[in-house]
Amino acid sequence: MGELLVLAAIGVGTYLMRAAFLATAGARPPAAVARLLQYVGPAVLAAIALPALVAPHGRIALEATVPALLAALVAGVVWRFTRSLPLALFGGLVVAWGVTWLLT
Amino acid sequence: MHTGPEPPRAAALAPAPLRPVVLRAAADAVPVVAAYVPFALTLGAAMAGSGVPPLVAWTSSPLLFGGAAQLVAVQLLGGGANVVLIVLSALVVNSRMLLYSASLAQHATGWSRRSRWAGAYLLADPVYALALGRFTKPDGGGDARLRLAYYLGAGLTLWTAWMAITGAGVLLAGVLPAGLSLDLAAPLTFLLLVLPMLTSRPAWAAAATGGAVAVAASGLPLGLGLLVGAGAGIAAGALVGRRRG
Repeated sequence: MGELLVLAAIGVGTYLMRAAFLATAGARPPAAVARLLQYVGPAVLAAIALPALVAPHGRIALEATVPALLAALVAGVVWRFTRSLPLALFGGLVVAWGVTWLLT
Repeated sequence: MHTGPEPPRAAALAPAPLRPVVLRAAADAVPVVAAYVPFALTLGAAMAGSGVPPLVAWTSSPLLFGGAAQLVAVQLLGGGANVVLIVLSALVVNSRMLLYSASLAQHATGWSRRSRWAGAYLLADPVYALALGRFTKPDGGGDARLRLAYYLGAGLTLWTAWMAITGAGVLLAGVLPAGLSLDLAAPLTFLLLVLPMLTSRPAWAAAATGGAVAVAASGLPLGLGLLVGAGAGIAAGALVGRRRG
């Protein structure tokens, strides 16, 4: 029950942030806030992604870290040349499978 | 402002039909859905294995409609982190929606008030990316009515798929073979969300610092590493941005 309340609180907060400027079309964030906001996406997403790639399951281990980093590299390269989300993602996963298979 | 190249005569006779636009939006959403399948399945499986009752954990899909925040919230809930820290972390993760809101608002000036409040609910990363991709084309995605149809078409397609696939992940937890390395799907998906954002040196600085500090701080109590990393990344972006003027 408490867990549902926590999720509901996050849901309300998230909805209000999504509605903040859209609902009042025309309103703009203050310049200082807008400057910071543009860095939130890269900072937050990298802060979630990188630890999970460098230390899958919470610790750095050769047989988990190497496939993860190679998968990330391949996904990045495929995206760079194709701009295709599915190709890049599945390319990365396939590399992870292959390298994991080789290492174990 | 957003008038297309079609002759004004056609526009005067009858409004452009919405159906092709909605179908177009759904078709554009299909490859995005495909790319999100592995992440949505893993997220569902993580919900089932988090220690939170699976159905409660799954309600994060309709409540948050944003995989990164859902993953953070469910993992922290399952790990027994402090409630305030959980809400704060998830909201920080989702605060990029403020930027999407401000950006999309510029293309939504002709939408009714009700449409804008309703549309806000669907404003997740891939919906924003699809909509902006369309609205920044030379014809602006057509008039306000057509733009709303496209936005809702793409948003509802992705929403429906997200509910279904995260639900499937909850049900399939334990059946999904570990050898598929599906747990890599989440960080790879976030990586692919970051790459299009790296269009300037400050953005690079924010991502590199945020990632590196989060790795270095991963020994901190549950959830703090993410907040510290995110804060450091935002500060680094602002610093590099200011130095460049």
